[in-house]
Amino acid sequence: MTQVARPAPRRLDAFTLPSEPGNERLALARVAGTVKDLGLPPQRLERLKTAVAEATMNAIEHGNGNRPEIPVEVEVTQNGDEIIVAISDQGGEKNAASGDGAGDGAGAGAGGQEEPDLAKKLDGGQSPRGWGLFLIRNMVDAMDVTTNGQRHTISLTMRTGGAAHDQHM
Amino acid sequence: MTSTCEATTRVLPGAAVIELAGEVDGSAATVLTTAYEQAVGAGADLGTVVLDFAAVDYINSTGIALIVSVLARARAERRKVVASGLSPHYREIFDITRLSDYIELFPDLDRAVSQITHPAA
Repeated sequence: MTQVARPAPRRLDAFTLPSEPGNERLALARVAGTVKDLGLPPQRLERLKTAVAEATMNAIEHGNGNRPEIPVEVEVTQNGDEIIVAISDQGGEKNAASGDGAGDGAGAGAGGQEEPDLAKKLDGGQSPRGWGLFLIRNMVDAMDVTTNGQRHTISLTMRTGGAAHDQHM
Repeated sequence: MTSTCEATTRVLPGAAVIELAGEVDGSAATVLTTAYEQAVGAGADLGTVVLDFAAVDYINSTGIALIVSVLARARAERRKVVASGLSPHYREIFDITRLSDYIELFPDLDRAVSQITHPAA
């Protein structure tokens, strides 16, 4: 008797970064290097890079308060045709529920997050900021947020295929 | 935060051109604002501002916010904003944020300038 088992998730990389503005560039470069041979089409790789950068910015700024001594943790996992990048900070619920007023810190499913509306922003009805989570949601196939005590994690999932998703963009 | 964004401005008949290079993120605020003021300060009849992104390799959400601020200011001053040189990825971001509803996109600066200076062509 033979069984076709789905391969177990495989951790490809795990690293930490000091919570300093600008370090999101280090995260996106390292993740891009880690996944470069996994078959993501170039446009989807660019989307994943933008999502990783935005999520890391949120973790640095809203989660860890730009305190370098508190690291942002990044883990890259492959699960079948899914690439999952998990980015964790120590912001707890505060990062899941609120940001700096710009709205970039709100988590998935959290209330109170007003969808960015460019017309309102141009008329002064909304801050020009608040695009971070909006970008993340539109860049990846799935975004999940979990909070365990102070540990707040945003998980970004990108399938290596995903043509159907692209057609809906 | 050290800015890695640079801006070069020049004035054409009826248009101010701001050529950006490097990273358009939060550190670019002063560079972008100064460039805009230099560019449009050259003449009140400059009805169009061209933002060229051909040498830009990174735009983040804070950079998008800066672009929104420039667009809001230009609209208040009755100026049109167009953009050129965006990569396919950043064109997509201009689409999903709806910036492209307000900012006409051109593949490159030459075509943007040509359209502005010879609108019937």
